[in-house]
Amino acid sequence: MAGEIVAEMVANVWKVVASPGDEVAAGDMIVILESMKMEIPVLAEQSGTLAELRVSEGDVVQEGDVLAVLA
Amino acid sequence: MTASPQVQPQSPAKPAKPPRHQDPRNPHKRLRALLDEDSMEPISADDDSGMLAAVGTIDGAHVVAFCSDATVMGGAMGEVGCRVVVQAYERALADDAPIVGLWHSGGARLAEGVLSLDAVGRIFHAMTTTSGKVPQISVVLGPAAGGAAYGPALTDVVILGPEGRIFVTGPDVVRSVTGEDVDMLRLGGPEPHGRRSGVVHMLAESEADAIGRAREVAGLLGAQGEMDASGIADVDLGEALPDSPRRAYDVHPLVEQILDADTMLELHPRWAPNIVTALGRFGGRTVGVIANNPLRLGGCLDSLSAEKASRFVRMCDAFGVPLLVVVDVPGYLPGVGQEWDGVVRRGAKLLHAFSEAVVPRVTLVTRKAYGGAYIAMNARCLGATRVFAWPGAVVAVMGATAAIRILHRRKLAEVAPEIRPQVEAELAVEHEVIAGGVDKAVEIGVVDEVVQPSATRSALAAAIAHAFTGLADTRGHHGNIPL
Repeated sequence: MAGEIVAEMVANVWKVVASPGDEVAAGDMIVILESMKMEIPVLAEQSGTLAELRVSEGDVVQEGDVLAVLA
Repeated sequence: MTASPQVQPQSPAKPAKPPRHQDPRNPHKRLRALLDEDSMEPISADDDSGMLAAVGTIDGAHVVAFCSDATVMGGAMGEVGCRVVVQAYERALADDAPIVGLWHSGGARLAEGVLSLDAVGRIFHAMTTTSGKVPQISVVLGPAAGGAAYGPALTDVVILGPEGRIFVTGPDVVRSVTGEDVDMLRLGGPEPHGRRSGVVHMLAESEADAIGRAREVAGLLGAQGEMDASGIADVDLGEALPDSPRRAYDVHPLVEQILDADTMLELHPRWAPNIVTALGRFGGRTVGVIANNPLRLGGCLDSLSAEKASRFVRMCDAFGVPLLVVVDVPGYLPGVGQEWDGVVRRGAKLLHAFSEAVVPRVTLVTRKAYGGAYIAMNARCLGATRVFAWPGAVVAVMGATAAIRILHRRKLAEVAPEIRPQVEAELAVEHEVIAGGVDKAVEIGVVDEVVQPSATRSALAAAIAHAFTGLADTRGHHGNIPL
């Protein structure tokens, strides 16, 4: 299964850290969301190549939205 | 509950069953693996009842155990097998010993009709009347369907082996009733129960690992030890936190550093991960830790995490395990989904669980504790034994900026937009001093003591040790309903 990285909660995309094509390891930061006045890093759960990055800085994401896809 | 589906049909394509003494599902083998070498003594007949019970030791401590006999009718439970389990429970109560159940069963025996349902129900009754008195641990090693699913579910800690499958009705029944095509793995395997349902507390990598974890839990709950506060060395726990107070972080390293090295055993690690519930040793003694995890949902409390924490608090309280509550919580998660999910009802469970707990329960506010979530995380007002805070911690109704936007709404509306951020910042600083700062919290008595991160371990230990002085044995003063 391709690794979809989803938003756990409603948030603003505060910073995009990784770029499409990046090789990431489990635990690497992909984006940083801002919610509840906190900066919440979203980490890769598995290693892989970042195939897609579906959000940009400033976007508002809803719970369950796919932020990025690992291949 | 329906009668069990046939989860282990004897397929003609399968190779012939090995002789019972060689069968890996033989309950003698499984119980011997659970208990210390040469310590197992059967307390039930070795017959075709589908259950075998024994007494023995785990790391030298007496326990009672029983195991499905999956070599007979897939471990299905009839009147006689159920009586074996009920008698094992009577023995555990009489011996004041933990009881461990190893499950591999298709549920009630269809052929015995309602008699088997009645017998399975007697197990449930025995489990419930034993609840909170002695620790009950379940290990699900194969399919556990129908009555065999609710058995483990009534116990304190459920461990799922890789071949374990838990469901009320099996794939065949699901298909015939709803038309939904689903296999046992997706219906009741490690993924759904580890992440979605909260039915199991721990996933194991192998049968041996599952049994090893059961031994560990039995030791933590059954042989809790005495705290040796003098053996607790201080380390600078502050290093586990990021520099920016706004940055979320994973709380696991902090919990690991608070506990004795390599003793943290997390329950429900993947379900409601915004709160961490773990057993471990502190100064050699078993303690329970509840910690907000800012990395997940910002560490907010929500309906699931409140329910998870409530059950953990009540389990620890029932067995006399003191609690350490590590607080860094921005509030309750807002939203329609949460409200409709019953965040009020489920959040109330946490207020209830802490308020009724009689074990020593010590709170440490590391960064912030806001609003209703501040109260729910074992605040002074709920009867906390002692509340510590690190320097710079904020205890408040909400963040200062949010607060002054409400308190000074009119004033802010009147100032020119270009200077509004500056005015807001000034008001926020002022507000923090009068309403949210840690000094204020100490002054009004909601925080007992500001403690340096480098002196926190010894302070927590002293608070727990002091609270235990003269405390009577409080075990069993309530049950542990699977909230």
